[in-house]
This record gives sequence, C-alpha cells and structure tokens, in this order.
Amino acid sequence: MFSAIGSSVRNQITSLFYGLGFFFQVLKETSRFFRRKQVGYKVLTMQILFTGFEALAVCGILAVAIGAALIIIGSSQLPKFGQSQLMYSILIIVITRELGPLLTAFVITARSGTAIATQLGTMVVNHEIEAYISVGLNPISYLVVPRFIGMVVSMLVLTVYFNLFGLLGSFIVVQLIRPIPIQEYLVELLRAMRVSDILSGMLKALIFGVIVSVVSSYQGFSVNRASTEIPVAGIKAVGQSFVLIILADVFVTLVQYAG
Amino acid sequence: MKFKIKFADQIVGLFIVIALVALGGIIIMLGINQRWFAKNYYFKTVFNSSTNLAAGTAIFMKGFQVGKIDAIRLNDANMVDVDFYIYEEYYPKVKENSLLELSVSPIGLGAQLLFHPGLSDQLLAEGSFMYTTDSIEGQIIIEQELVAIPVKDDTITRLLSNVNPVLENVNRTLVTVNRTLTEVNRALAGQSTGPLGTIVGDISATTARLPATIGNVNDTVAMLRARIDTLMNQVDSLLSEAQTSVSNVNGITGNLEQTTAALRDPTGLIPRLLDPEGSIATFLDDDNALFNRVMSIIGQVEQSVRSLQQIVTSLNGEMPQIASVLNETKVAIERAQDVLEGIRNNPLIRGGITEQATQESLYNSMREGNF
Repeated sequence: MFSAIGSSVRNQITSLFYGLGFFFQVLKETSRFFRRKQVGYKVLTMQILFTGFEALAVCGILAVAIGAALIIIGSSQLPKFGQSQLMYSILIIVITRELGPLLTAFVITARSGTAIATQLGTMVVNHEIEAYISVGLNPISYLVVPRFIGMVVSMLVLTVYFNLFGLLGSFIVVQLIRPIPIQEYLVELLRAMRVSDILSGMLKALIFGVIVSVVSSYQGFSVNRASTEIPVAGIKAVGQSFVLIILADVFVTLVQYAG
Repeated sequence: MKFKIKFADQIVGLFIVIALVALGGIIIMLGINQRWFAKNYYFKTVFNSSTNLAAGTAIFMKGFQVGKIDAIRLNDANMVDVDFYIYEEYYPKVKENSLLELSVSPIGLGAQLLFHPGLSDQLLAEGSFMYTTDSIEGQIIIEQELVAIPVKDDTITRLLSNVNPVLENVNRTLVTVNRTLTEVNRALAGQSTGPLGTIVGDISATTARLPATIGNVNDTVAMLRARIDTLMNQVDSLLSEAQTSVSNVNGITGNLEQTTAALRDPTGLIPRLLDPEGSIATFLDDDNALFNRVMSIIGQVEQSVRSLQQIVTSLNGEMPQIASVLNETKVAIERAQDVLEGIRNNPLIRGGITEQATQESLYNSMREGNF
C-alpha cells in the first residue's frame, strides 16, 4: 500500500512538473509566434472561429438569461430592504466580475477543451505528431500555440460579449417589469461600474483561457497509443479545467478583495 | 466550401473588432460618466474621526453629488485630514464661509457628507481649507448666518427634534424620581430629619397604635350593631302599626267610597234632602219661626252667659276673703285634729265617747258613689 501511495505521489509530482514544463514551453513558443509569420495564423483564425464565434450564441443566451434572472430576483427582493439602488451594483458584480468569465470558461471548456484534447489525442494515436517532428515542425509551435492564443482571445472576446448581452438582456427585462429610458439605465449602470470591474473580468477570462487551452493540449498530448485513451483525455481535460478554473477564480477574487 | 470556413478571417475579424469597439465604447462612456476628463477643484478640511469617511465618499448638496473625498489620513495632532474635490460645474457655489457637514443617520442608515455654500460673494480659492460644522469656526459661521444650511425636512429628523425635548423632560423626571426614592429610602431607614422623615415616624407610631384602635373600632361596631338591632325592632313595630293604620285608612276609604256612591245615587240622601216636598224642606219652610226660635234661645243663652260672667267677676273679687276663710278653716281643722288626737291618746277618756248612730239619707243624689 505504501509503495502504491508513494508511486502515485511520485507520478503526480512528475506529472505536475511535466505540465509546468509544457506550460513554459507553450509560453516560449507563443512569444515567438508573431515573429515567425507561420502558417499557424490560419490555425489561429480557425480556432477563434470555432471556439469564439461558434460559442457566441450559447454564451449570448446564457448571458441574457442570467441578466434577466438577476433583474427579476433583485427587483422583487431588494425593495424589501430599501436597497433598490444596489440592483446595478449586483448586476455588474455578478455578470462582469464573476459569472461572465466563469460561465464563458465553462462553455469553452465543454465545447473546445474537449475538442482540442480529442483532436490532439487522435493526432498522437495516428502518429501525426511524430510526422510533424520528423519534418522539423515543432508540434507545440504549430499545433498548441495557435490553439492557446485562439482560446485566450476567444475567452476575452466572449467575455466582452457576455457582458454586453448580460447587461443589455437585463435592460430588456427591465423594460418588461418597469419601463425606464435606456439613457437612465445606462447612466445608472455606468455610475455603478468601475474600470476595475472590467479589468477583473478580463483578467479572469485571460487566466481561464490559459488554463483551458494548456490543460486541454496537455491532456491531448498525454495520449500514448490506444484510441480508447482519447475520450479519457477529453474527460480529464474537462475535469481538470473546471477544478483549476474554480481555484483560479477564488484566488483572483481573494487577491482583488484582500488587496 | 462552407461560408464560415471561406470567410473565416472576415468573420473572426468582425467578431473581434465588434468586441473591441464595444469594450472601448464602454470604457469611454465610463470615463465620461465618471468624469475622468473633467477638472476638479481640490480643498482640505479636518474631521475629528474618520468614521463614515473614506476615499471616494460622495459630497452632496441638496441631493446632488457635487464632489468626492480624494484621500484621508491621520495627522500629527490625531485629527483626520481630508482632501476632497468639488466638480467644475459646482465650483461657482464654493464661496467663502462654505462648510462641510458629516450627517449621520440617527437610525443607522449610514452617513452623508453635505456641502453648505457660504453666503459670501468671494469664491473660495482652490486648495483652501474648508471648515466643518462641528468645528468652533464652523459654529461661529453658522451663528453669524454666513452660510446657507437648509432645514432638514425629513420625517425622522423632525421626529427626533420633537422627541429630544421630551426625552430631556423624561430624563429630568427620572432624576427627580430617583432623588425622591433616595429620600424615601433614607426616611424609611430613619435617617431623614425632613418632613418626610417626620411623616414616616408618625406613620410608624400610628401603625403601632393601630391594633388598639382596631379593638376600639370593633367595640364601637358591636355597640352600634346592638343599637341598630333595637332600632330595627322599633322600625318593625312602627311598620306593623303603620300597616294597621293603613288598614284603618282602607276602611275609611271604603266608607268614603260608599258615601260617594250614595251621593252619586240619584235616589240617595242629597236628592231626598233637596226634595221640595221632603221633611227638611217642610221643616225649613215655616216663615222663619224656627229661625226666630233659635235666635231667641241664643239670646237667652247670651244672657245666662253674661250673668255667669258677672258671678265669676264677683267671685274673683271675693277670692281673697274666701282664701282667708279657707285658711282659717284649715287651721281650725288642724287644731281639731290635734285635739282629737290628744283625746284619743289620753288613757283616761279612751273609749269614753259613745258612738253615734248614723242616719242614712233617703234621697240618693246622682253624684253619690253608690248611686
């Protein structure tokens, strides 16, 4: 039993260091990406298209629904405490700071994280990675970095769209409950909003994008030779991404509010 | 080729550009709304405490936000230095003698930093010191009415302003009650020499005498009860007598009823008396013979009365003589009595007198006892 535990711990530590090494390798290759004028641009574009643009509808619906729910709950509960003016602050804190980047990251993890892990795992099983290496192409530089950048950019852009849809969707619901001019709504919203709220959301989106892309790529490359390992890699990519996203969210929130 | 794949670059570019424009627009609107590009006029002030104060606290004037606190810090004199700024559009209202007031909600609903513009014509120069309403200088400015402080017309403030005097009165009353209770306690402990102490002493003595008094009262009550019983008996007898009288009255009433009925009877006494052929009418219709006879009898009676009056008058004149005769007769009788007694007591002649035979009268008067 002790040997099993020791072996497991050793494997975990080895895996952790391997993952960290992989992460730094991705960062290193990313820094070189824009100087090399590689064909990876096309991969990047396609990654943003699939990860960002195609997820826009899901994120939009999610944002409008959450904004509407917040408005409905807030307009029915907050007046009981005489704190109706907190509606805008709560809306901004929930959508811009917390749920915007978090739910976007979950959507991207579910859609694109599994896709990346499965795609890279399939390439490993089909020995395509070995082919890239044999012709002198760095698989990290050509395969991972475009996906990494594409996912981070998609996360940032989708977070902006999530905020737009969340706040504008809530305005539509406000019109149904208590019609107010859009100018008044925007003024109150902008009065409650701070740049730090936007920066906090974007920072989280950046971190979540990095986590999802690196974890998914890592799990894709962790497939050895059997095709049955591919779905396992996808599941691991999703599970680890969720856990790391939540931990990162808590950490960033703690740093922001503790500071 | 699919549309999305064919125009992937354009779609992605548009996707990113729209997001960037939206983000930029939001930040620019945020900046405009939060006055990033507007000029602010900075001033200084000092508060006793930083409670309810923080960097970013809004400054209001008549409900409008006119500025914000920029920074607060504790100075060497243990006071709180506050740097604040007034928005450019409200700077013309910042005149000399303007004051700041930290208005704290009395029911715990937070605090507001209020700006009260001075009534001077001179603008307060940027960077100047502005007094607070709590400071001595601020109080002087308020007393001299150099600042426009609006009346706080919210309900709670008005209620509190009304409640405060009441509370002060209640406080004074409680102090008075406390003193009174202290005096009472001292009096009860026998330590007071004042009127209350005397009263308490008297009450104590009275209490000591109370059992004897209660005994007396009991005796008096018993006596009163006996008297009341007697009175009640008398009342009972009176009531029985009254009942008898009432029964008699009832009899009289019955007789009266009978008489009234007889009077009402058309064949009764009155019609018979008034009958022109009746005995009374006949008796009265005698050409005044009866009247004359009665009048003559009255005249004779009058003469007899006059004679009797004369006799009585003469008797009155003879009364002294009659009285003296009677006195002499009385003396003579007494002397005769003495003689008879002497004779009776004399042994020589005792039983010496022959008894006389009495001759009864043949005529018995109506006034004699054995008639």
